Amino acid sequence: MSTPRPTSQSARPTGRPTAELRFEDVTVRYGSARRGHTAVDRVSLTVPPGQVVGLVGESGSGKSTLARAAVGLAPLTGGRVLLGGAPVPTRGRRRPLQMVFQDPYSSLDPRMTIGDSIAEAIPPGPSREERRAEVARLLELVHLDPDRAAVRPGLLSGGQRQRVALARALAGDPQVVIADEITSALDVSIQGAVLNLVRELQRELGLSMLFISHNLAVVRYVASHVAVMRDGVIVEEGPAARVLADPHHDYTRALLAAVPGTRTPRRTP
Amino acid sequence: MAAQRTRQPTRRWRQVVRTPLGAGASLLMALVLLLALVAPMLWTDQADAVDTGNILAGPSAEHWAGTDNLGRDILFRSLVAARLSVGLALTATAIAIVLGLLLGTAPMLLGRRLGRLVTASVDIAVAFPGLLLALFFAVIFGVGARGAVLAIGIAGAPSFARLVHTLVAGVAARDYVAAARAAGVGRVRVLLRHVLPNISEPLIVNATIGAGGALLSFAGLSFLGLGVQAPQYDWGRLLFDGIGALYVNPAAALAPGLTVLLAGLAFNLFGESVAKGLGVATLGHLPERRSAGPATSGPPTIRAEEPVVAGDDEAPVLDVRDLWVSFPGADGPVQPVRGVSFAVRRGEAVGVVGESGSGKSLTALAVSRLIEEPGRVEAARLQLLGADLRTGSERAQRQLLGTSLAMVFQDPMTSFNPTRRMGGQLAEVARQHQGMTRRDAFGRAVDRLAAVRIPEARRRAGQYPHEFSGGMRQRAMIGMGLMGSPALIIADEPTTALDVTVQQQVLDLLQAIREADDVALVLISHDVTVVGEVCDRVLVMYAGRIVEDLAAADLATGAAHPYTRALVAAVPDMETDLEQPLAVVPGRPVAPGEVPAGCAYAARCPLADDRCRAEDPQLASFETPDHRVACWHAGEPIPVDGPREPAPVDPVELVEVDAP
Ligand SMILES: Nc1ncnc2c1ncn2[C@@H]1O[C@H](COP(=O)(O)OP(=O)(O)OP(=O)(O)O)[C@@H](O)[C@H]1O
Ligand code: SF4
Ligand SMILES: [Mg+2]
Repeated sequence: MSTPRPTSQSARPTGRPTAELRFEDVTVRYGSARRGHTAVDRVSLTVPPGQVVGLVGESGSGKSTLARAAVGLAPLTGGRVLLGGAPVPTRGRRRPLQMVFQDPYSSLDPRMTIGDSIAEAIPPGPSREERRAEVARLLELVHLDPDRAAVRPGLLSGGQRQRVALARALAGDPQVVIADEITSALDVSIQGAVLNLVRELQRELGLSMLFISHNLAVVRYVASHVAVMRDGVIVEEGPAARVLADPHHDYTRALLAAVPGTRTPRRTP
Repeated sequence: MAAQRTRQPTRRWRQVVRTPLGAGASLLMALVLLLALVAPMLWTDQADAVDTGNILAGPSAEHWAGTDNLGRDILFRSLVAARLSVGLALTATAIAIVLGLLLGTAPMLLGRRLGRLVTASVDIAVAFPGLLLALFFAVIFGVGARGAVLAIGIAGAPSFARLVHTLVAGVAARDYVAAARAAGVGRVRVLLRHVLPNISEPLIVNATIGAGGALLSFAGLSFLGLGVQAPQYDWGRLLFDGIGALYVNPAAALAPGLTVLLAGLAFNLFGESVAKGLGVATLGHLPERRSAGPATSGPPTIRAEEPVVAGDDEAPVLDVRDLWVSFPGADGPVQPVRGVSFAVRRGEAVGVVGESGSGKSLTALAVSRLIEEPGRVEAARLQLLGADLRTGSERAQRQLLGTSLAMVFQDPMTSFNPTRRMGGQLAEVARQHQGMTRRDAFGRAVDRLAAVRIPEARRRAGQYPHEFSGGMRQRAMIGMGLMGSPALIIADEPTTALDVTVQQQVLDLLQAIREADDVALVLISHDVTVVGEVCDRVLVMYAGRIVEDLAAADLATGAAHPYTRALVAAVPDMETDLEQPLAVVPGRPVAPGEVPAGCAYAARCPLADDRCRAEDPQLASFETPDHRVACWHAGEPIPVDGPREPAPVDPVELVEVDAP
């Protein structure tokens, strides 16, 4: 049942074709039918192949829930999530859709070496030796020293951990990666390095990405398209340049006006 | 975010043995196990030897604890009984653990509906007293050792199941479990690889304590005649026989009673001291809270005092000179704040920026006297509104701080008591510090909630913290600070947990309060853009020092310290060039324990030279008196190297790094 996967260095960048991720009328409700709460309300959103879609919105607007629904961590109440036209597999070991989480301090098992954490996400098939080589290649890809695969996350800084988390997501040989607020727990000094890495990986591997962030400047930097979410609904969507320069929805305008640094700084009286 | 240190497992276990109690308990535990192992091999013959000439005799040189009704030596019998007693107790505990693991992990494996059923049943079972359950099962399984083992094992299962369930739920909520599941790792494997290893410590601790309990339960059952039957004997059985002959030979009951007691004590003490050493909660106890006493030390050694507020006749609201904060470390004290001096004028907004670990929060906590033991605070001057915060009674200080200083923290959820209504929590401040009546205080609370723009303040005052949204809680926190009439608000990352729109509201609110009442503000943030927008002046901290003090308006173009310039460049804004990679600050921040000689920033600084590595630059005026910089090459152009290479492989250094 396991299909052979490319493990050679050269095969990777041109590996498998990237695919389109499509949310069709996705609804997620929490709680009972009567006293429930609709976190995501009939959302339709498309991440075109090889593109980065930035998803912005305030906390509680349902961004994370949408992401978790795509990878099967939140139950779909209605609608479908399609990857390259077929439903996203949420069972079994092959997961062409991978997710990177917000908090690098809780997304790595403190008791596992970073090498094991990454290896665990490699689908079954390759031998132990091949796995080790793959872990080394992935660590190199995220600019970490492959010799340190035996280190536990307790010894790594936040930025280094987030790179391990990225490597783990790439280990699944994904066509699409969802990044949920991956820089918001990081220091500004580290944030830049992680954003550079995201852009570099995306371009090199031609990944499709759903990049969730509440920081518009960050989204502007990595995304080609922007979707704005509020109260479980997408209120505006379009090319990043257009949405950020010429927002159509009032809420988008409010978001843009609230970006720190866009208002004139105060002068000492 | 909690700093999560994963110490080496072996080192942590060694910690257990290091305390006198831990060492004693471990020794006792080892003795009990050794006894259980060797006693039957060594003394079975003596224990079984029938001495018909010495029936029911009292203690003698030959039989130290006397003999029983067949003339057998009680002491040897008590020793030999150790194996059966300990063995049965351990077996019963094993049964309890296995059942507990099955029941406790069932909710995770079975899915929501079935899981809830299991949890509910366990909750009901836990409500019954354990010994009662054991008696019930003992009757069902019949009298005898096997029945007793099953009874005690099954009776112990519900509380283990509850414990396992709680622990599993805690670990399962962590992102690494979600990450593994998203990667397609199956539930059983997630349980075995991620969940169980991470709950093993508290489980082992509670199992040890549970074994002690099982030991006593066994003694109880056997004593009631429901447990071990003759000719087998355990401590309970011996006790049962001994009590019958109590008036003839008290030692016959005393010897097995004492061994039971010692063995039970060994298990319990060992479990508790392991729990203490590893910092694990046991079923009966929650972890102790550290005492929150502030620890300001006596008069510090006076270091060179330099004037901070040049040419200002009005006394500053806050005046800090040469502030040091230190904590004891493994190799001598570490100093996360190293000689910070600054002043805040009336109505002024001062921002504090810097990477995590640079000492921003500790500086704020030191000022508000919230540094906990064993931390120490020293300062040449620490004045709030002219009053010395280093001396004076604790009470007077609390009073001053309570009314003149408002602290706002990052996570307002943890700053409120979740079980009390918001209005009452705010009112309490006024009752305590201003001696208001309950009614007046509540009125003021409602007024303050309205002042921080919480709609329907009166209704909201009757709600609990969880009924407020994140932004409202943060505003309520500010409202709490406004119950007095503060001259200074210290806000530590007040908007980090909030999204942009709410962040803007909170910042606007702080701004409005400043303007209305001329309140000074210290705003701590890692976001240079936020600070630059809200504040008049910005202090940049690095490795426990202020490295630059400049007007906020100069941040973008007038910063002179290489670190400030790197921080500003690293943040993307709405004008960032999309074609270029973002500037990064290379390397890692300096940990407080390893501050190098010379300038602490030298290892990451593009301008560093030999002088930087040897001599530590002091904060000194640069160009204008209000602009202070600690750098030998302040303002010098930073060399731009040619086209950027791909980022170099980052060597992972083997040092512990704290979470920000
Ligand atoms: N397990 C859950 N049970 C009940 N309600 C939930 C659960 N998870 C999320 N919610 C609710 O769903 C809504 C959307 O949550 P979600 O975490 O997806 O928002 P978000 O936009 O990602 O927020 P943030 O930016 O803070 O992460 C919120 O109102 C939240 O309270
Ligand atoms: S003193 Fe030297 S090393 Fe330190 S910041 Fe200035 S130039 Fe860099
Ligand atoms: Mg979220």
